[in-house]
Amino acid sequence: MIEAVGIGAFFLLCALGALLALLSPQRRNPAVLAVTGAAAAIALSIAAADALFTGQSYLADLWSLPWGGTLRLGLDRISGLFLLIAGIIHLATSIFSGGYLRRYLGHYSLRSFSVLYHSLFASIGAVLLARDALSFLLTWEMMSIASALLVMYEHRREENVRAGYLMLAMGEAGTLAVVIALLLLGNAAGSLDFHAMRASGPALGSGARWAIFLLSLFGFGVKAGLVPFNSWLPRAHPVAPANVSALLSGVILNLGIYGIVRVNVDILPASLVGAGVVALIVGAVSAFVGILYATTDNDAKGMLAHSSIENMGIIVVGLGAGFVFTAAGRPALAGMAFVAALYHLTNHSVYKALLFLGAGTVDYRAGTRDLDRLGGLIRTMPWTALYFLVGSLSIAAMYPFSGFASEWLTLQVLLRSVELTSTAVKLVYAFTGVVLALTAALAVTCFVKAFAMGFLGMCRSREAEQATEAPRSMLAPMGALAALCIVLGVIPTFVIPTLSGALASVGDGRATEALVPAFFSSSPDHSALPAAFVSDFHDLGAETGESFIPGRGLVVLHRGGPDNPVIFAMSTSYGVVVLVILLGVLAGIVLWTTRRRRVTREAHWDGGVRQLFPEMTYTATGFSNPVRVVFDAILRPRTVEDTEETVAQHFRVAIRRAREPVYLVDRLFLDVLTAQLMRGARLLARMHRGKVNAYVAYVLGALIVFLILSVMV
Amino acid sequence: MTQWVLSGLAARVRTTRYPARQDQSPGVSPGFPVGRALADGDRGAVVERCPTGALTRRDRRIWVDPRRCVHCYRCARGDDALEWQQGYEWAAVATSRPAGEERTPPLSSAFARSLHVRVVDAGDCGACLHEVKQLANPYYNAHRLGFFFTPTPRHADILIVVGPGTDQMRTALEKAYTALPTPRRVIAVGACALSGSVFGPSFACSDGVRSIIPVDIEVPGGPPPPFAILHALLVATGRAQPAGWAAGTQWAARPGPAAEESGA
Repeated sequence: MIEAVGIGAFFLLCALGALLALLSPQRRNPAVLAVTGAAAAIALSIAAADALFTGQSYLADLWSLPWGGTLRLGLDRISGLFLLIAGIIHLATSIFSGGYLRRYLGHYSLRSFSVLYHSLFASIGAVLLARDALSFLLTWEMMSIASALLVMYEHRREENVRAGYLMLAMGEAGTLAVVIALLLLGNAAGSLDFHAMRASGPALGSGARWAIFLLSLFGFGVKAGLVPFNSWLPRAHPVAPANVSALLSGVILNLGIYGIVRVNVDILPASLVGAGVVALIVGAVSAFVGILYATTDNDAKGMLAHSSIENMGIIVVGLGAGFVFTAAGRPALAGMAFVAALYHLTNHSVYKALLFLGAGTVDYRAGTRDLDRLGGLIRTMPWTALYFLVGSLSIAAMYPFSGFASEWLTLQVLLRSVELTSTAVKLVYAFTGVVLALTAALAVTCFVKAFAMGFLGMCRSREAEQATEAPRSMLAPMGALAALCIVLGVIPTFVIPTLSGALASVGDGRATEALVPAFFSSSPDHSALPAAFVSDFHDLGAETGESFIPGRGLVVLHRGGPDNPVIFAMSTSYGVVVLVILLGVLAGIVLWTTRRRRVTREAHWDGGVRQLFPEMTYTATGFSNPVRVVFDAILRPRTVEDTEETVAQHFRVAIRRAREPVYLVDRLFLDVLTAQLMRGARLLARMHRGKVNAYVAYVLGALIVFLILSVMV
Repeated sequence: MTQWVLSGLAARVRTTRYPARQDQSPGVSPGFPVGRALADGDRGAVVERCPTGALTRRDRRIWVDPRRCVHCYRCARGDDALEWQQGYEWAAVATSRPAGEERTPPLSSAFARSLHVRVVDAGDCGACLHEVKQLANPYYNAHRLGFFFTPTPRHADILIVVGPGTDQMRTALEKAYTALPTPRRVIAVGACALSGSVFGPSFACSDGVRSIIPVDIEVPGGPPPPFAILHALLVATGRAQPAGWAAGTQWAARPGPAAEESGA
């Protein structure tokens, strides 16, 4: 009931928002968008949360087409999870837009933005609600087109338009692959309905399974920004308005993952170990390439876009591990892997939306996104700086912020490869683990750079000096997302059962039992735990807080076989309490011992120069240069200028050397593909000389060939 | 590589035993002239030969100002040559601190085995800096005594200043002094740092470091030998007695032209 009302209200509010946007004057538009967008997001969130937490499902037949079956909308727990994330992110960005969109007033049409924004939101909701291939593909296309148009919103800049078209072109290629995958499934089922596809799934042969897996992985992978189909992402995400960037990274990338999960976890559970290995490798490479380019990118939003690729890579690694475990018949481990992936997806949506909103605020108030020209904003924009710091710590997987628990779980899941038999697969797991460890280290470097160069030190440009704090309507959503980052990191024991419930169709809740044991004697499953095990953990304090904590114990752990009862255990919840107490005690000791200390404040030591100019300080380029040097063989930037200026042919007065980054995926994949296509086109062009006689000859030739063929067949 | 190790072992320990034992190796010190009473008929013409004005006549006596002497040996030659005294324990506690002329006490024993030193070149010709650099070589090996060089004054307890304190280095010197955490000591090394010597005061530099920042310990010489600088560091930590010249045994303030006339 709540679902039906919520979904109905959501679509109505989206339509109302688009309508009001057309009716209201330009300068009122941001406020109207904030209200209608937020209301639609709340309606959607309530429906999704009810489906996710209570497991209520909902199914509605829209109408029947004589040639395409019935168009169906439905809401199950896994859709509920993605819809809830979309609703929360949309709530934040809608409120944020109220202040942010004012920067476009008088430059671009806010009316068209509003209409596109609402139609994007509606189509995202519809993609996640679709229960048959036809409505899924229709809404998927709507979503692709609306998002590409929003990327091109600042259409007077050529790069934006190019990025939008590239995004659309690559997205369409991906959609084509998805269409084929869904048709293969539908062909086997004789129906385009997801339910029917699921029922006929087990009958498919391994060839069809491979085809469906690869097509869906790479087809949806285009949307999710997986290597090698992601060269649109680092171009399109930075140039979109910040609120749209937050949606692109926080919601639309998730749709790619949703597609992969829907096809390969729900409809056709993986039965091929090789398929999981492919996903592991694709994920690991995406993660590494993403973070490498993020570390060396000085554009605040470009860096975040590359970092999205990294996070999607980590998520796909989790999924890949889950596919392998499913195929190997280890459902509990598979459940853990899927939970790790979905946990990371949730975290990524929240902190990446937060970081994009933060970067957008900086762009709006300081007039630039170039980290080399920012700096010192913590003095003028303290709240934005605080929220950006929380986001940075989360994305860098710092304890106890949100990225930590999910990345830790992903790595732990990879270590569970000891329970597999094949050495080759174990090697792939090891390789993936190593790459993810390197990625995590680079992520810390990357976000130290982002925060330090953006907010600390001296202002490196006049715009940055004159920046002012954003209005409260922009700060409030960022603050809420920052709080959510901390909450998601501190209470994994509440998040994991929810996610495990969302995956109930594949995991059977076994991930919950493996990861979050019911330590509290009041919990229903408590009696199932071995007594010795409980008493061991009782001594460690795992049952602390039983009387007042409404849920499972606050320890995440996994038990292996009977010989080795505990393989890993971790608790961010208790850890945070200990951390706060320790820091408090430490602060007390320091304050007590230094209470009589006289403090004199002098200028910082600057090497004794007369005046320290911003040009003399560390820049983002300088900070990331070691990474650039170490990975030069991979990055291989193009030297665009290398000249010397001399006086009297001897005395050098200037050396100019400029290098331009080339995206690895472009160099190895897209450029090669384009070159081959152009070669083919040139070959074909030889036929077209423009002489009428030649064309008549072609027609005649074709006719003769077809006549011969028809006679022969 | 093997040869390198073996020859190193064969060379045995060459490090000086100072301060446990006085180092008597030839050439470790250039020495200082010693003032003398003027006998009847001795006009003290040797004073005119001094290019830096380190020698003065007063009260029928030749006085030596160690703050100005650069060991040129012009007064060591000729019939009326001054006597020269060897040794190197010349570092004296400065009396020229602005507040009340009191002397700085040595640093507490906490610094005895861990003293961090920042060297600032305030317009030095290279000579004094070269001698300071010798402290790190195997012969003097200041690390064995717990003296360490650091690249930033934020980590330093001692500021060693060489050079007369040129105007271009004035800001840097002031900033470096401000950046030192307390307790802090400043050691001025060399004739230029103590008095400006042949360079100052002039249009481009001051008459010594103490006109820019307070100086605690003075090391005379132009340049002083490394042992004198080592002695200054030991004095700063209270591990050696300061030289007495600053108290007035040999020392004489440089008098103005009128005083010189009357003294002659």
